[in-house]
Amino acid sequence: MRPLTEVWSAATSRLMLIYGALFAVWCVILLGAVQFESSRYLSGVIDSMLQQRIALLARTEPSALQGAVEKAVAIDPAGVMWLGLFDADGRPMAGNVNALPADLPMDGVAHAIESGTLHPVVGRPVRSRAVVMRLPDGRRLVAAKDSRTIDGLGAIMRRGLLWGLSLTLIPGLLGGFLLSRAPARRIRQMQRAAEPIQRGDLSRRLPVSGRGDEIDLLAGIVNTMLTEIERLMGEVKGVCDNIAHDLRTPLTHLRARLYRTQQQLKGPEEAASLDVCLADIDALMARFRALLRISELEDGQRSACFQPMDLAGVMRQVHEFYGPLAEDRGQRFELDLQPMPATRGDPQLLFEALANLVGNAIKFTPAGGMVTLRSANDSDGGYIEVGDSGPGIPEGEREAVLLRFYRGDGSRSTPGSGLGLSIVSAIARLHGYGLEVGGDGHGARIRMRFGPATSATG
Amino acid sequence: MQRALVIEDDAVTANEIVAELDLHGLSAEWVANGEDGLDRASSADYDIITLDRMLPGMDGIDVVAALRNRGVDTPVLMISALSDVDERVRGLRAGGDDYLTKPFAPDEMTARVEVLLRRRQPQARSVLRVADLELDLVTHAANRAGQELPLQPTEYRLLEFLMRHAGQVLTRTMIFEHVWGFHFDPGTNVIDVHIGRLRRKIDQPGQSSLIRTIRGSGYVIAPAD
Repeated sequence: MRPLTEVWSAATSRLMLIYGALFAVWCVILLGAVQFESSRYLSGVIDSMLQQRIALLARTEPSALQGAVEKAVAIDPAGVMWLGLFDADGRPMAGNVNALPADLPMDGVAHAIESGTLHPVVGRPVRSRAVVMRLPDGRRLVAAKDSRTIDGLGAIMRRGLLWGLSLTLIPGLLGGFLLSRAPARRIRQMQRAAEPIQRGDLSRRLPVSGRGDEIDLLAGIVNTMLTEIERLMGEVKGVCDNIAHDLRTPLTHLRARLYRTQQQLKGPEEAASLDVCLADIDALMARFRALLRISELEDGQRSACFQPMDLAGVMRQVHEFYGPLAEDRGQRFELDLQPMPATRGDPQLLFEALANLVGNAIKFTPAGGMVTLRSANDSDGGYIEVGDSGPGIPEGEREAVLLRFYRGDGSRSTPGSGLGLSIVSAIARLHGYGLEVGGDGHGARIRMRFGPATSATG
Repeated sequence: MQRALVIEDDAVTANEIVAELDLHGLSAEWVANGEDGLDRASSADYDIITLDRMLPGMDGIDVVAALRNRGVDTPVLMISALSDVDERVRGLRAGGDDYLTKPFAPDEMTARVEVLLRRRQPQARSVLRVADLELDLVTHAANRAGQELPLQPTEYRLLEFLMRHAGQVLTRTMIFEHVWGFHFDPGTNVIDVHIGRLRRKIDQPGQSSLIRTIRGSGYVIAPAD
């Protein structure tokens, strides 16, 4: 998985790019519409000017027409509007239009000329609009005006669009990027603050900047939830601890009385019956001690006494301690040590965890079976594995065996508190080790991995 | 008669401890807080002190540290609801001689008290003897009735611990703590198996059994009656 901040910054930059593109498209559409409308308007103005002039000239006396055209051209040296009078054969008679525009309907209505009419002043063809009218006597009257004003407007619009986009998009994207860095930084802070919480330290909270923005709002919601979870966890733990504390005092007294009674009894038969009672109470008390022990481990205050650990040494001790028990039960107990990376931890606790695992393995393996304690490395790192050739742990129970008091159906008849694996689990969590419960039908395999657990267990 | 001082703020637990000590022939006195306990322990000569780790006001660690500062070397058994090894180390480092976690079985406590009481009589011997069993602390050699007993290192440490406290009841927890050096509840049967093997080594057919099981408590090594 990519780190959260990377995902976050990818999300913001993607949003910024989408927003920028939408903005640009919108600007183009807007300016396009404005240009279209304004050029239509300008064409209309030009067209009505041309049509009006043609209509005016057409009403002049036919004999005075040539003079009127020449006079009109003379008073317009800049060539704002060009006029031309052609005879019935299309030869120019007067005005500054050198040739009759080809293919133009002679209907007195303005049309665009794309190929261009020679501009009388500029001296080269330009795009223009023109009106041609056939007079009753066969002559043709032409009025034209270049449409560069309209094109110029389009150019101004396009330049405006370019400037507008570059002036808004570049600082916009840049500013957006800079602004998004602050929230990304805060998300990163939250991520760091959340790490101990994910590891189980519920007393920690996410940082709140006090700006009252959405991130604060979110952090506030999470913090409120954490407070509630912490309260509930505290309550549950408190109830457990209280039960354990409250019950152990009468238990202690009961045991003391039974013990004293037993010491005063004469006959070995009577004493033997009390033995059973004492053993029961001892089992109960062991269970209470285990409960309180888990509670203590889960408070997670122990990491202070972590030290460099000789894993192989601890494993040898466990092997040596449980060897005779396995032998008495007719089991083979093998120790297989591979070189392991140096690790820090609490050797006392690691021994306790491994002792619980090996004790379980021996308990559930029938005579003639085999128990293995081995260290190994795979692509996910190093681990210690306790395996046995017992009945194994059914697929569906592999998560549940780590729960407090959980006992598989097959183990109801076996003595035990159901707390051993909870202690192992608490110790593993304290060290940041992963526990993987597995097996292949020919026995259980529990791995303690020096890193987060992976789902793959063989 | 040996005298014991019980420093414990909880009256019920204190009564239990006093009754148990009385039963084992000690005259026990009870004080309920650390300051009084310190005064009493400094002014009178006690053979053993049981000290609650968590006391109102002056805490158990401070009491034992102050006692040792004043040169009082009475054995102190610290009793605490805190089972953590850290706490144990702190208690022992401050000057406690042994550390017992609540809830405890009374016989577990008296077994520890007995061991602490005997510790005051130093043993300077290099060979330990129980009946016809001998253990040489220098060469680590053991023999019974003149016959050499081959011992594994663990078996040696186990036998040495038993023989150093010959005649005293040693609980499984005490054995686990002293021989293996770990402080948790390993379940009873592992220790029993180790004792069983040791027993088979030192009790040859026809010889009396030296290691006896004390029902509900632990083991003791002593000459057969």
